[in-house]
Amino acid sequence: MTHHSSQVSADLIWEIARNQNSYLVKRASSGGVRFSRDPLNLTNVHSRKYAGFVNDKAVGISPAEGDKGGVTLITKKTKHPQRPGSSVNKVTFGGSKTTRKTYKGIVSSTAKSGYRSDLRAEAVARASAIRLSQTPKKDAPEKKLRGSKAKKAAAEKDE
Amino acid sequence: MASRPTVTILSADGSASGATHPLPKVFLSPIRPDIVQTVHTGMAKNKRQPYAVSEKAGHQTSAESWGTGRAVARIPRVSGGGTHRAGQAAFGNMCRSGRMFAPTKVWRKWHQKINLGQKRYATVSALAASSVPALLLARGHQISTVPEVPLVINSSVFEGAAIAKTSGALALLKSVGASADVDKVKKSRKLRAGKGKLRGRRHRQRRGPLVVYDPEVDGKELARAFRNIAGVETSSVFALNLLQLAPGGHLGRFIIWTSAAFKALDLIYGSTTIPSELKKDFLLPSPSVTQADVGRLINSSELQAVIRAAIGQSRTKRAGVQKKNPLQNKQVLLRLNPYAAGYSKEKIGTKGLDAGKPERAAKTPFAKVLKED
Repeated sequence: MTHHSSQVSADLIWEIARNQNSYLVKRASSGGVRFSRDPLNLTNVHSRKYAGFVNDKAVGISPAEGDKGGVTLITKKTKHPQRPGSSVNKVTFGGSKTTRKTYKGIVSSTAKSGYRSDLRAEAVARASAIRLSQTPKKDAPEKKLRGSKAKKAAAEKDE
Repeated sequence: MASRPTVTILSADGSASGATHPLPKVFLSPIRPDIVQTVHTGMAKNKRQPYAVSEKAGHQTSAESWGTGRAVARIPRVSGGGTHRAGQAAFGNMCRSGRMFAPTKVWRKWHQKINLGQKRYATVSALAASSVPALLLARGHQISTVPEVPLVINSSVFEGAAIAKTSGALALLKSVGASADVDKVKKSRKLRAGKGKLRGRRHRQRRGPLVVYDPEVDGKELARAFRNIAGVETSSVFALNLLQLAPGGHLGRFIIWTSAAFKALDLIYGSTTIPSELKKDFLLPSPSVTQADVGRLINSSELQAVIRAAIGQSRTKRAGVQKKNPLQNKQVLLRLNPYAAGYSKEKIGTKGLDAGKPERAAKTPFAKVLKED
């Protein structure tokens, strides 16, 4: 149950907050896209399924704190919805862990343990994207000179 | 509900004081954003002061139209000569120095009457929404360090004007985990865009927590302690205002209660069956549904017992799959043309070459039977 009263359900909260909430980002581009800044939203898309602040059970994945890479898995506890101070579980999968093990850890602690199996692919995809963003970027190869510039460079080298 | 939910009462250091209080009934009233929004729009108009342009503006000239035949528009023109103003058009809203279109009047309907029942409904609705952490988050309050919603602080903390200084108030906010919300307000202070800057509304900022107290028990000193903290507002529990409970008409204000104020709620609002002691003819509104969880309703045994089975196959329609060529993919071909199975098994397609001439109809057994008659 979401609340001390059964009259307040996730469905009701969604209907109240779907048109305006602090996480909602509206842009006129692309036919009026609606995104979400909710840390418990795996796709950043503003929708009932991914709205972490609405759903009783929600999964969030964010880059781990510090500069060592890795991801932090955030899940919502369902037992005491009235206690926001202790309402989330955080597990960090370090940057030195292989990505496969990271994904396995994420899936086994969420989708495989009866916690939002519908978000399995999205959770893995987000973790994967974060890990990819943490890999050091290779420098672009030096540009080869073409045409007259190449001839000039060759001539300079000969001198 | 087996047992009425209780709320922990916090002590000054933010830990549970051991005392609890059952949740006042007002928090179980229906949450109706539509009512809150309409009442808020009305109430927000009730602080306005009349303004209007001068009655005389644009009409302080003796202009008259020149009529037709002068090859100029028939708009009134300033009479006389010897100055540039003479002959210029006047009065019209399209004219330079003319009167504005539909000049504003001081007798505009500035204030709105809102039915008392609606105002009370909106207030209890906003109070009920203030106990839902998800709605607090949706309003933008930083409550990730708050131990419990609704947040109730023991009145003994405020006893004898103990919190009369801003430093004490700040320390209290920090210990109950509300400092993140106060910091958010502090960071949000921006210069207002437009003329409002010159009209006493120089800055705009977010709203922080609302501290609700009982002036008889907690004293009024705490209001002075909190009043210089940006975004923090104080209100007596006996004079709650919808403009503070749902700023902008958006539900879910973060409220910090003193335990005396929290206890007074049942006295002030009563319940759905016990009338309020302080409000005349007031019962809390009853929710129209007791179970608002749609998924739970659908999956309940009562509903499942009476609904018929879903029409259609269990096979799901696959949208967006690649179209296969039936001339190359045999399974797709068979789905379209069941005859193709026999056709290829009998090799009818290749028989044409060595099957010889077709049998003459006259020589068939059927023709013989026909002849016999």
